[in-house]
Amino acid sequence: MEVLKEKVEEEEAAEREAEAEQAARKAAEKEKEDSILSQEELLDLEQKLSEIEVHIPEIPVAFTKSTIDTSTLPESYRTNTPKEELLIQVADNFSRQYAHLCPDREPLFLHPLNECNIPKFVSTTVRPTLMPYPELYNWDSCAEFVSDFLTMVPLPSAIQLPEYLFSPTSVLKYQKGNCFDFSVLLCAMLIGAGYDAYCVSGYASQEMCLMDLTREMCPLLKKPKKVVEEKEKVIPKKYAIKPARDLRSKFELAQQAKKEKEIKDAEEKKQKEEREKILEASKPPPDPMHGLRIHAWVLILSGKREVPESFFIDPFTARSYRTQDEHFLGIESIWNHKNYWVNMQDCWNGCKDLTFDLGDPLRWEFLLLGTEKPYLSLMEEEEDLAEDDDIENLDKEDENKNFDMPCSWVEPIYISPKDFETRSPQGKKVIQYKQSKLEKWTPYLNANGLVSRLTIYEDVDCLKPIEVREWYKNREDTLEMRQMDKVSNWTTEYFKPGHFLALRVHTYKSMIPETERTMEFYHKARVDGLVKRTETPRSMTEYYEGRADFLVYRHIDYGPRSKKFSLSTVETNPRPMLKITERFNRNPEKMADDDVDERIFVVSDERIQLRYHCRDDYITVSTREFLKRNEVDNKGNKIIMTPEMCISYEVEPREHTKKLLFQYEMMMDLKNEERLSKHQVWESEMEVLEILKVREEEEDTHNLTVSIYDTKRNEKSKEQREAMERQAQEEHMRQVEAELDYLAPFLVQLPPGEKLTRWQALRLKDECLNDFKQRLIDKANLIQSRFEKETQELQKKQQWYQENQVTMTIEDEDAYLTYCSQAMFRIRILEQRLNRHKELAPHKYLALEEKLYRDPRLIEYLKVFV
Amino acid sequence: MIRLYDTIEPNVIDEELLKLAVEEQGPQEAAGQVAKQEGINFKDVKSLQLDFQNILRIDNLWQFVSLRKLQLDNNIIEKIDGLESLVNLVWLDLSFNNIETIEGLDTLVNLEDLSLFSNRIVKMDAMDSLVKLQVFSIGNNMIDNLLNVIYLRRFTYLRSLNLAGNPICEDEEYKLFVTAYLPDLVYLDFRLIDAHTRELGDAKYQYSIYELKHRENQIQAKLEEEMATVAELEKHKAAYVEYLNGPFLFDSLYSEDVEAAKLAYLPGVPELLETYKTKFVEICQNIFDYGLVQQEKRKAEVAIFYECLEEALQENRKQGLKEVEDFDKIYTAYLHTIRNSNDIQFVDNKMSECAEEISRLFDRLMTLEMQLVEQLEETINNFERNIIDMVGVFVENVQGLMAQCRDLENHHHEKLLEISINTLEKIVKSEFDEDLPDDVRALFSDKDTVVNAVGASHDIHLLKIDNREDDLITNVTSWCTATVDKVHNDELDRNRKRVKEINQYVDHLQTDLDNMDFGDLLD
Repeated sequence: MEVLKEKVEEEEAAEREAEAEQAARKAAEKEKEDSILSQEELLDLEQKLSEIEVHIPEIPVAFTKSTIDTSTLPESYRTNTPKEELLIQVADNFSRQYAHLCPDREPLFLHPLNECNIPKFVSTTVRPTLMPYPELYNWDSCAEFVSDFLTMVPLPSAIQLPEYLFSPTSVLKYQKGNCFDFSVLLCAMLIGAGYDAYCVSGYASQEMCLMDLTREMCPLLKKPKKVVEEKEKVIPKKYAIKPARDLRSKFELAQQAKKEKEIKDAEEKKQKEEREKILEASKPPPDPMHGLRIHAWVLILSGKREVPESFFIDPFTARSYRTQDEHFLGIESIWNHKNYWVNMQDCWNGCKDLTFDLGDPLRWEFLLLGTEKPYLSLMEEEEDLAEDDDIENLDKEDENKNFDMPCSWVEPIYISPKDFETRSPQGKKVIQYKQSKLEKWTPYLNANGLVSRLTIYEDVDCLKPIEVREWYKNREDTLEMRQMDKVSNWTTEYFKPGHFLALRVHTYKSMIPETERTMEFYHKARVDGLVKRTETPRSMTEYYEGRADFLVYRHIDYGPRSKKFSLSTVETNPRPMLKITERFNRNPEKMADDDVDERIFVVSDERIQLRYHCRDDYITVSTREFLKRNEVDNKGNKIIMTPEMCISYEVEPREHTKKLLFQYEMMMDLKNEERLSKHQVWESEMEVLEILKVREEEEDTHNLTVSIYDTKRNEKSKEQREAMERQAQEEHMRQVEAELDYLAPFLVQLPPGEKLTRWQALRLKDECLNDFKQRLIDKANLIQSRFEKETQELQKKQQWYQENQVTMTIEDEDAYLTYCSQAMFRIRILEQRLNRHKELAPHKYLALEEKLYRDPRLIEYLKVFV
Repeated sequence: MIRLYDTIEPNVIDEELLKLAVEEQGPQEAAGQVAKQEGINFKDVKSLQLDFQNILRIDNLWQFVSLRKLQLDNNIIEKIDGLESLVNLVWLDLSFNNIETIEGLDTLVNLEDLSLFSNRIVKMDAMDSLVKLQVFSIGNNMIDNLLNVIYLRRFTYLRSLNLAGNPICEDEEYKLFVTAYLPDLVYLDFRLIDAHTRELGDAKYQYSIYELKHRENQIQAKLEEEMATVAELEKHKAAYVEYLNGPFLFDSLYSEDVEAAKLAYLPGVPELLETYKTKFVEICQNIFDYGLVQQEKRKAEVAIFYECLEEALQENRKQGLKEVEDFDKIYTAYLHTIRNSNDIQFVDNKMSECAEEISRLFDRLMTLEMQLVEQLEETINNFERNIIDMVGVFVENVQGLMAQCRDLENHHHEKLLEISINTLEKIVKSEFDEDLPDDVRALFSDKDTVVNAVGASHDIHLLKIDNREDDLITNVTSWCTATVDKVHNDELDRNRKRVKEINQYVDHLQTDLDNMDFGDLLD
């Protein structure tokens, strides 16, 4: 096909050339007439024109046979087995019959060429493989993987079947493929995972063929379907009280209801019209090749792997569609690794009316009478087959029954763990949706752990972003998602549990302290049970949960800061607190009238207001108000407590609460509490600052954590560990050596088990000392010999130098000089060593002797000699 | 040390002493001044020290009902007395006195720490109610029986025991014995019991302890069984069918019947009795089952009613709370504006608006209450009718069943009479062969005695049956009236409480407003 096209194009080019030449000639002639061009110049012109080569424009993402290195492919790729040959003949036979019987149908996609130019039947290209990655076991994650892993290449011709169909292994190697490649690969993986999957060759809409998602909403933005809960029928209780009598006029109510209904109807109509208009506007422009665009996708039939209903998968986008979806306009044929079926149903209404009962020969014409029919087939079919077995000719039996689809010629599909993790080629993938764009990266590719970013635009042309969402993985500061609203300038960060400050969500406009922000925490990981803290320039609100003192809410109002000349921060010049409001939950152990519900410290006014909880069957609550005054009365004595300092209203007055002592003690307690509360508030402010500081630091230093189960990345740390272990082992060995018994070699000579006799001990000592002396002497000799050798060599060299002085080159001289200096150095060192050894030897000898005398095993025998 | 009581003049606990003690031991400094201003009430005092006061008798402490800690040590008390009202007492110190027996501690159920150190006590006893006892010091006394320690096993929380200075401590087995018999004890004589001693003790006294435990378990099991049967009986009593699930009633018929015993000797009577018994017991069983079923139904009915009642009350309460809340918001807003403004005319207007708002609140709350009362009245009447019907049906059925019993009795009586008369005739004709004891023969002297005897027996039986029936019916009907009355009374109480609450609140608001009125005007 391509060859033909090339020829056609060449011809066209040649024609154009010829035309161009003609035109040029004409022009030349004209010029000849007009101007005074000479014949020579004309010829020149002609030559120049003929040199113009018209290049056939290359398809930029050509994935042609020429790009694949066929030499490394195994034998089965390059040749056909006899069975395969037979199969191709059968296929040809089938296609001839088909063309004869259905002249109006397009030719079938039966045996395209593979990368080595060998025709291979499509079913044999499908090699079911189950791969060891759990992600590839479910159809949705498998399809996503395929769509991420491979880059899409459009079909060479949108309305004609491709000539080539490469093996899945090549497709995986180069990570590129057209829709047929995608489908074959996905089908192979799904069949390997146990699904009843088929490759489908048919026709689809333009968007599908070109992988154009610009009309689709991003799946991440789709709101989850709200499950409509059925309201449980409330069993009317026997003694339920009747509702209070409604004294309103029913007629008036009815009138009102009617009016409201009219207004609502009008509004709804308006809204509906608007929606329709928008829909119209967003419809795609009509496609000239509608219904002719060839596309390949995957069909999964229900039954295996608990699939309830058959559906289509578009391999480019990994989305599933119902079989009645309007994107799919027709099916020519389907195949899997066992058989090939041709669709005999009419596709005038797209795929909406097709049934997928592959055992029905009227609807689906099969190529091979395989022994394994899809289980959808009716029981009759099987009976027929059984009858066939008995009654029909043996020839037919042999021919049909024994001819199954040959095994696939493709090597088992393999994806290395590294490739699997990297997924997209080069680790990055960009998908454009309607009004949004999604970018995906492999983990650890970006230094800050960014794995995906979704940008949502305001307009369809994607020019003005209104929101950006970023997802992160493996960050040390446990940041999981960041959402930036460009319109209102709010940034929200979501954290995973594990942050040492127990942060969960942080919403802010800017990182400057004392601006508006909200922080949410994992309250179970915190000592104070803080759930949420909201801060504005003039207030701070905190919500708690699960505290032992039942505090649930605290709100602080600040006043304006007093002016100070130096830089005012929270530590040096805290904002003055005007009012602290605290709310508590009901403490069941206390009586309601003693259990504080709300406590307000009006700091500016020096008042404390208390409100208690409501008793079980009451509707009013007790309140109490204290006025802290530290005045002196007219005598100059300090007033401790007067009745006016405490005003209370009690739902049920009790005696002991009227006592001054009780009130006084309560006020003392409250003063204490106020102090504590203020301190806690101050601590909260400090914490906010700390959090901001920590967050800024973490943002600057990107630290990615590596899970301990991640073996690849942990290689470095593994090496380190191994090095350490080796070191430790060496240390150990050295230690062991140190503990070696220096007398062992001598003791071994003696008969074991016997106690040492005196003369044995003496002999031992002598032997040891002698041995040591010998060693010392040997060492000295060794050094001496080395020394002499060096000096000899040096002398020789010097002699040689003197002899050859004249004839040497400068390099030789330099070499000689360096050699000399090195040799001199060595000689000096040896001399030093020898001298030192001579000096130390007698000391060592004496030391050994001492040690022998002191050795606990010999000491008793050698005592006399000490 | 035992001081003789007539060397120094003994002291008495009187009002003065108590007042002084309470003042000294009350709140100090600033709080103390406040307290003095007001005066301390004895019934609020939590702890009292009356040591070294040379007190002879404990008395006059009845006012200190909230006392938790009392120290009467180092006095010359001879009898533990006068502590009955101190039920909240947790710590009692009676050491260094002259006490000879332990008594008078029966009401002190909260006692955790008791010290009777250095007294003259011979036996540990009469402490059965001190179940929460944790620390017990009875050293330096005259306890001489090592087995007395076993008495202390009942205190499951006892962790520290001091017996040092008693005659039993001279026994060489003392430590091991105590350790073995009080396995939960942690400190003996204020020393930690170490594991080694424990092991030794256990080893030594293994068998006796094992037996002891076994006996204790048995007692416990028996107690539990008893409790279970008592509970069962209670359940039956609640269904008014107690003692009907077996031959109890039948037996009771014959328990006082002397004649029947005699008549049992007649031929054919035992079999007759048997059949009578089985049938009777059957009917009793029917009554029993029916009674239980009915009881369940009644309970369910009552439960549903209370549930619905509760729901209605909660709903109403929610509405009430909301009203109060809304009012609160509006009212505080008004107050705020009043406080912040200076214009007297404006303030006056606002004041009147506030007063209006208060009265509006009152109206709304009272309306809610009235509505609720109406709704509840209807429901309660409904319930009353249902319950009375239920009880009525039950009573009728039971009466029917009892009538069956009576029929049986009558039938039996007739048969018995027949047999007796036959026997009499036989005896008269001297055809009677069987052996009869003398007193029975004596019965058959003439017709009248026989007939009287049989008749007497019959009457007793009927009486018993009637009594049982009456008991059942009276109990059921009284339960019915009691329940209905309770419902009515509860509703009444609730209504009154709510009305009182509303009035109180509204009054309070109005007084506040008026006071503010004055305050503002003065300004």
